[in-house]
Amino acid sequence: MANIRDIADSFDKIIKDKGIEKFKYTLTESEKRELNVENGEFKLFRTVFSNSGSIKVFKDNKIGSASGNDLSEEALESFAADALAAAESSPEDPAHDIAPYVEPHVFKQGILEPDIDKFLERLKEFLATVAKEYPLVKIIQSTGSYDRWNWLSRNSNGTEFEGFGGQYGFSIEICASDGTNTTGFDYTGIGTNDLDKPFIELGTIRRHIVDIQNSLVTENVEGKFEGTVIFTPELTGEFIGGVLGNYCGEGVVIDGTSQWLDKVGEKVADEKLTVRFDPYDERINMGERATANGFLSEPYTVIEKGVLKTHQLSLYGANKTGRPLVKNTGWDIIIEPGDTSYDDMLASVKKGIILGRFSGGSPGANGEFSGVAKNSFLVEDGKVKCALSECMISGNLGEVVKNIRSISKELICDGGSVLPYMAVDGIVISGK
Amino acid sequence: MLQDILSTKTSLFADGVQTILRGHENRNRRVVLLKGNMVQNSRSASNGISARVNKNGTYGFASTADYDAEGAEKVLKAATENALFLSKHSNRNIELPASLGTGTVKLNAEIIDTEQKTIIEACKTIDDYIVKKYPDLISRTVVYTEDSQDRIIYTSDAFNGHLVTPRCYIYVMMSAEAKDGSPVELFKAFGGFGSFNDNFGKLDEVYEGIDLLYKRVMDKKEGVYAEAGLKTVILSPYMAGMLAHEAVGHTVEADLVLGGSVAGPSLNKRVGSDLVSLVDFANMYEGKMAPLPVYMDDEGIVAKDVDLIKDGILVGYMNDRETAKHFGMEPKGNARGWGFADEPIIRMRNTCVLPGKNTVEELISSVEDGYYLIDSGNGQADLTGEFMFGVTCGYEIKNGKLGKALLDTTVSGVAFEMLKTVDMVSDKVEWTSSGFCGKKQPMAVSMGGPHMRCKIMIGGR
Repeated sequence: MANIRDIADSFDKIIKDKGIEKFKYTLTESEKRELNVENGEFKLFRTVFSNSGSIKVFKDNKIGSASGNDLSEEALESFAADALAAAESSPEDPAHDIAPYVEPHVFKQGILEPDIDKFLERLKEFLATVAKEYPLVKIIQSTGSYDRWNWLSRNSNGTEFEGFGGQYGFSIEICASDGTNTTGFDYTGIGTNDLDKPFIELGTIRRHIVDIQNSLVTENVEGKFEGTVIFTPELTGEFIGGVLGNYCGEGVVIDGTSQWLDKVGEKVADEKLTVRFDPYDERINMGERATANGFLSEPYTVIEKGVLKTHQLSLYGANKTGRPLVKNTGWDIIIEPGDTSYDDMLASVKKGIILGRFSGGSPGANGEFSGVAKNSFLVEDGKVKCALSECMISGNLGEVVKNIRSISKELICDGGSVLPYMAVDGIVISGK
Repeated sequence: MLQDILSTKTSLFADGVQTILRGHENRNRRVVLLKGNMVQNSRSASNGISARVNKNGTYGFASTADYDAEGAEKVLKAATENALFLSKHSNRNIELPASLGTGTVKLNAEIIDTEQKTIIEACKTIDDYIVKKYPDLISRTVVYTEDSQDRIIYTSDAFNGHLVTPRCYIYVMMSAEAKDGSPVELFKAFGGFGSFNDNFGKLDEVYEGIDLLYKRVMDKKEGVYAEAGLKTVILSPYMAGMLAHEAVGHTVEADLVLGGSVAGPSLNKRVGSDLVSLVDFANMYEGKMAPLPVYMDDEGIVAKDVDLIKDGILVGYMNDRETAKHFGMEPKGNARGWGFADEPIIRMRNTCVLPGKNTVEELISSVEDGYYLIDSGNGQADLTGEFMFGVTCGYEIKNGKLGKALLDTTVSGVAFEMLKTVDMVSDKVEWTSSGFCGKKQPMAVSMGGPHMRCKIMIGGR
């Protein structure tokens, strides 16, 4: 295959020949090398050579898009023709647009020359460590990968961005068994740019392994009570992400169903909560550098000390609603730490649970949620009492952020997010 | 449709290993109208070639987006090298599964493309129908989505074949405002196997479904929270299908059995009442084509039905060639990959609870105080069989009659305990095929079942 820049030059010519005046496109070439472990043994080595291309065509306030992974001249002709035909069939909507001209930028991120031998040694070391230190833990599946990519995007305002990147990834799916009892599964993963530390020390990997080994014997919660839930960092991210999707996302703002539609500038959460998206934070490995609309990514704060600062609107959503846009897709979440240590947070809980995983239905538009507390522990009088089974929790996302009791000083960084523990009061916890 | 450029490359298969060469295309068409605004209008295709080489239990896999002769040679070479490399670092040394025969499976259908203009017009027609007939809704979304799969497979010691799975759906979502000002919403999917004209040549069935959906949204506006606790419920066929897939199906996938699922020690034991039988159908159900038929899997195994639970007894697992050999079972075509870059793994196909003898009316009238659970937004299950389904649509049952609608809630339980509480099963099966199963890769699957009466934990507020 020709290099991505040569392909882009050919694509420009095709677009021009078709009389397409307003467009944006992205072309990507990538390679994945992935080692798969099944039941503690290396089973599969996978290499994936990939390409992809996507184009959006704007014509008379109409939009159409096409994409695929064949970047041959013939396929590029089809992309352009398909996107143009789709645009011509589309209803008019002047809200569709692209960003104004931005100076060309080249972004280089992560590891472009991987050390596969060292990576393999880290994987072997991880398997050996778990087998030695946590003999009851079973690695159902584990994946170690190195991904490398090169992308180039251009639009009809003359903007050109090009990115080169590479990153190691590591994930596990685990359970524990002592011959009599078997736990449910748990999983976690990280992205990393260095191989300096053993994998077990990254993100929350060791905590997941310890917790699953401590979950062989479980108890049911008696009855139903309103208690405190300590959200582990991943769950803090999951729930705050749910809150933002339900109340600040583009869909609910455009269709007017957001319950925070007119709350910008108002207090919507406890003042301990500050949530921002910062792709340039040094703890984020592969932060976004440019948006799909053609802006350079910019950090923004969505909730500051409990006050809603903005909705999360792309250029389309902003044009559609007349509200401000954010120049950042919202992948790189950072929740600011609190002033409480995790130990103090735990010690302050009269009765509640530590939530390790949530298996629940998608919250309704009104923010109501309910689901099963998986990989979770009962807390009474400031102490962990036992692992739980068949325990459900329910509440309302809007209330969760108002009822924050404390946020931990400790932060967990998994390469893509920076998250604390978060203790929330007033959540209904029910047993069998 | 894919052109066969792979047939001449079988001469490159190495000796002493098992090789699969697969040409593969996924095609997508998508239109989204959010409150009448077109927020998505796209066409895409992703194709390529993959090779998998099994050397005594260590597997090399490689794929490329270059769908040409050179690409086929490249992936065969890379997959072979990967298998050799890994075999030096792995303790696995497993005798290769014996061949179960060779041959060719015939092309089962065609994928017919539809102009984007026609798709957009259909979505606009449906949107107009909703706006005119139901102006009191606060929002609505109409989504057309098509995700067809086309595969050409050559194997070293199994079957070859060219197979397609075209499917397309229209999703309709409606939102209304409850008395307290909060929104309530429901959605419904229409469509199934086949191309646009097979499913949406006429829209009468869609309109009928929209009318029912509107009634249910209006009922939900006045909805109440379910009372938390262990309740007698009637599960709709959709919910029974979710149970079949999520709570039982995953635990009896042989790779997860090896991973420690509850089905390991439960084989040939009672896991449900006598009324519960569960089958993963390959391509036919009661003499008709199953919703998403699979005729051969990506290891070249001709697909057959898999009996999983018979009269309450767990009788089988779903396997690939290696796990079938391990468990002394027959592989029946469950190893599938979703995209060209995905290796085949054990997946369900058309998983269904078999019907019983009662009518649905008999089931509902038998419940003094319980719930009728109709629709679910999502579901998850664990190796232990502990499951959770979000319930988006349901009704109270009081003294054998349907009462108020339910607001969103969740049900949970442990599959092999809950199935023992099934004491009435209706006589008709209904299917749904619009969903994706997620297990490392997505996969198009269908699920079905009858109405079932059982006891289940329901989350309240």
